[in-house]
Amino acid sequence: MKDLLYKEFKLAIHPTCYIFLLMAFMLLIPNYPYYVAFFYQTLGIFFIFIWGQVNNDVYFTTLLPIPKRDAVKARFGVIVIIELAQIVVSIPFAILRNSLNPTENQAGMEANIALFGLIFLMYAIYNMVFLPMFYKTAFKGGVPYVFACGAMAIFVVIAEASIQLIPALKTTLDTLDPSYLPQQLAVLLFGILVFSLVTALAYLKSAARFEKIDL
Amino acid sequence: MKNEREILSVQHLNKSYDAFKLRDVSFTLKAGSIMGFIGRNGAGKTTTLKSMVNLVHSDSGSVQFFGLDIKTHESEIKQRISFAFGGVDYYLQKKLDTITNVFKRFYDHWDEKAYENYINRFELNPNKKVKELSQGMRVKYSLALALSHHAEILILDEPTSGLDPVSRDEILNIFEDVVDSKQASILFSTHITSDLDKCADDITYIKNGQILVSEDKDTFVDSYRLVEGSMDQLTEASKHLIIGCHERKGAFSGLIKTQDSEIVQGIKCSPADLESIMVHIERSIK
Repeated sequence: MKDLLYKEFKLAIHPTCYIFLLMAFMLLIPNYPYYVAFFYQTLGIFFIFIWGQVNNDVYFTTLLPIPKRDAVKARFGVIVIIELAQIVVSIPFAILRNSLNPTENQAGMEANIALFGLIFLMYAIYNMVFLPMFYKTAFKGGVPYVFACGAMAIFVVIAEASIQLIPALKTTLDTLDPSYLPQQLAVLLFGILVFSLVTALAYLKSAARFEKIDL
Repeated sequence: MKNEREILSVQHLNKSYDAFKLRDVSFTLKAGSIMGFIGRNGAGKTTTLKSMVNLVHSDSGSVQFFGLDIKTHESEIKQRISFAFGGVDYYLQKKLDTITNVFKRFYDHWDEKAYENYINRFELNPNKKVKELSQGMRVKYSLALALSHHAEILILDEPTSGLDPVSRDEILNIFEDVVDSKQASILFSTHITSDLDKCADDITYIKNGQILVSEDKDTFVDSYRLVEGSMDQLTEASKHLIIGCHERKGAFSGLIKTQDSEIVQGIKCSPADLESIMVHIERSIK
């Protein structure tokens, strides 16, 4: 697996994934729907697959002396690393934003711990929709990405609407007040748990599909 | 003297698509030989080759390398073989060095010294990007990678397609050197029959997803004769013996089985070559 991950980083990863990590700076914008800063990286991941098509990545990898499902596992590995990196890189920007300008975000959720929990959920949805759909063919990426974007958009609208419209959620989650830290940590933990489980399920489904298809 | 040991055995391979069927494909490859896999475009060459390395899942049949089944020993077998679609056509923007540094990590028997030798011998610049290589150089790079992990069987899908005659000749010479120095056996698909005239020991001929013949090249070529003459020379009986008969301006030309050539007395017979055999057989089964 170490060698396959090395291959992913040396050959398969698209350069925009590194550039999109810089989108974390968008958390410095005082009033902004911060989900967007994290959305860009899903585009970077999509580019890995499109880049892979152009470069015949699937043939290079599957002709190596490895089990086919390991090719999927390594790709999932690199995606999870990128998603986690996006979140980790965003943390200092969130801290900086809240220290420099501790005013309320008029355009959506605050850049707080609960937001990171919701981002984990958004990435879980992306992984669950995009990846198993892609591995149905290991070739067509466009339609799965459109579906994944649709699913993420629905999630964001529902999450944001619930938080803005339900007073209990608005008070506890859309705030920088440290007294609501336990509730926000609960959202973060829930997000991490769902992300882990859903991504593992998405891997099992994707690997099973990839093993069945003719290349 | 050739080693008659079978190192690859394809038996009763079947695969159905909506518009195409691979039917009961069987052949074997002997150690120390070059086998040409011929057939016109769309005959099933690539599907067969892909089925052999599990890129395509056959509906039935078996493929064994070194006595091991590909379905149960895929990784082990892939350590000992190499499969390439023509030349290297992946990661076009990457330097050869970068690709090699990734590739070699996966092979237990990677031989760095051998790799350096091949790079020098084939005059490959490891700092060049794949996209900067000519088609011939890409095939050579593919061979350098395969031979450096000591692949015992090289399976190549149309390695000479799109090459100029000089590059083709160069690649075929490398094939001969590889086999003569007992480094590997080669199975390569092509529709360029002159490649096979030059270097193949055995021929496997596929037509519409079915193997028409798989045997020693010389025996195969010798089993046919070209015939030509005027239409008056043709009797009803001899007409049926001629394969892919072409009539024009009162004359005819065609192919005949060597064993039948004595029956058609008085008609001019001459030795056939692979191209004329393939053309006439394809014409006859249209």
